[in-house]
Amino acid sequence: MGPLFRLTLNQLTGRWRIVIMTVLASLPVLFSALVVRGSRAPFVDEFEVIVISTMLAGSIAPLIIVAIASVAFGNEVDDRTLANLTLSPLPRWQIVLPKMLGALAVSGPFILGSALATGFVAYNRDATAVLAVATGIGVGLMMYTSFFVWLGLVTKQAIGVGLLYIVLWEGFFSGYVEGIRYFSIRRYATALMHGIDPRRFAGEVHVELAATSLVAVGVCIVFFVLSTRRLRTMDVP
Amino acid sequence: MSAPDPVIRVEGVSRWFGSVVAVSDVSFEIGPGITGLLGPNGAGKTTLLRMMTGLAGVSDGSVTMFGQPVRDNPALYRRVGVMSEHETVYTFMRGRDFVRMMAKIRRVPNVDDAVERAIAQVDLVEAAEKRMGTYSRGMRQRMRLAATIVHDPEVLILDEPLNGADPRQRVHFQNLLRRLAAEGRTIIISSHILEEVEQLAETVLLIINGKLAASGGFRAIRAALDQRPYHVRVLASDPRRLAGEVVQLPSVDAVNVDPDGGLVVLSNNVRDLQVELPRLAQKASIGLRRVEPLDDSLESVFGYLVER
Repeated sequence: MGPLFRLTLNQLTGRWRIVIMTVLASLPVLFSALVVRGSRAPFVDEFEVIVISTMLAGSIAPLIIVAIASVAFGNEVDDRTLANLTLSPLPRWQIVLPKMLGALAVSGPFILGSALATGFVAYNRDATAVLAVATGIGVGLMMYTSFFVWLGLVTKQAIGVGLLYIVLWEGFFSGYVEGIRYFSIRRYATALMHGIDPRRFAGEVHVELAATSLVAVGVCIVFFVLSTRRLRTMDVP
Repeated sequence: MSAPDPVIRVEGVSRWFGSVVAVSDVSFEIGPGITGLLGPNGAGKTTLLRMMTGLAGVSDGSVTMFGQPVRDNPALYRRVGVMSEHETVYTFMRGRDFVRMMAKIRRVPNVDDAVERAIAQVDLVEAAEKRMGTYSRGMRQRMRLAATIVHDPEVLILDEPLNGADPRQRVHFQNLLRRLAAEGRTIIISSHILEEVEQLAETVLLIINGKLAASGGFRAIRAALDQRPYHVRVLASDPRRLAGEVVQLPSVDAVNVDPDGGLVVLSNNVRDLQVELPRLAQKASIGLRRVEPLDDSLESVFGYLVER
């Protein structure tokens, strides 16, 4: 799996991608710093909904991941290089796994760095709070990655479909339709933060920590299996 | 003694995309040696090759290799090397790194030796450290071939492999394929450069409009096309008088007189014509200076089948 992991890192680390990821990842940190030091600091629950949930977990993280994970296979399909990989004796899961890990390895440092720095700034170095935010975002990162990698295999418009999903589903519906929280990665990420540090998102109703963890693992496994299955059954260009 | 099992067996294979039938009920068997797959653009060659490699599924029928299904059978790719018609390379990679990666994902035991051997076989040792984005098209093709043969496959499926190669590279490539075939490999090569396929392939499969129009040795195919008018060019001392005599032969369908005085005879039975023409000329006291077949090449056979 090493050669495919390295190949994926090479494919996903273009200069412009790094610049865009850096800019996006720094936005929540800068915004948090401005809010915290401003003369009219918001209440904690307001801040968490606006910055941690909507901005970081619901926008910045999925935007970075969709730009990286959906092209992990998407570029191979567009460039017709996927056959190089599928015409090998590797079991299909050994092609999917390094692609997912490669996407995680590229986007992870930016997103986790952003989560850690945002938590550090916003919660005044409260280690539990920072850990909760970083863990919640980290688990969301894995769920988003598995979903967008699969999306890159099933449609050539993965980035467009992914953006629609981020804006409509995670951004709009999950914020306003109560039942959506059971089907929203953002809401599972915040539930995880609450489970680790009950002070976080204290005013909301959350899925239990154990259930959240199970669902997170389940989502990753389901999309990993779907990607593997797709690679077995698709017509490779 | 029974015939050896074919390496590749294609049985009643069809493939359609919506209402478009790309390949229709094609059956054939391929054994060791070089087999040429011919057909005009859009005939279904690439779709057929993709089904033979397992890259695409069949709508109907089956494809097996070494008795095993080719689709969703990764273990089979230890024994197969496939080179698609597209320039599927990673332009940011160095040539040697590309071949090495392909060797590793195919689990070649001694990677370094295999990589150097494959690159030497395609005569690209000096360019192996350059990025593939800087290669000419012919160089990319050769490095792709190195990656295709690096795991020493028993079966090679090459879709338009000579694209972009210069004449020297073509000769080198042909010699390499002959050598690989002589070692007992099964090689399927698709090309629109018919002369090269004619020179290389022992067996030819002609695909037209998604159907197998003919298969077998080049001469066998030619013989099978007995309804086809056979073009023979005749230079004679009195071409106009000879034309009047020849057109009455039962083996001749038509005669045209070229502006330069040569006759182009369309025969429906060239064997009879070979016997009758000298007799006729002798009887009419017309000197025959030259008799030459105009269409004893794969290209002409191919052209005829395409037009039919």
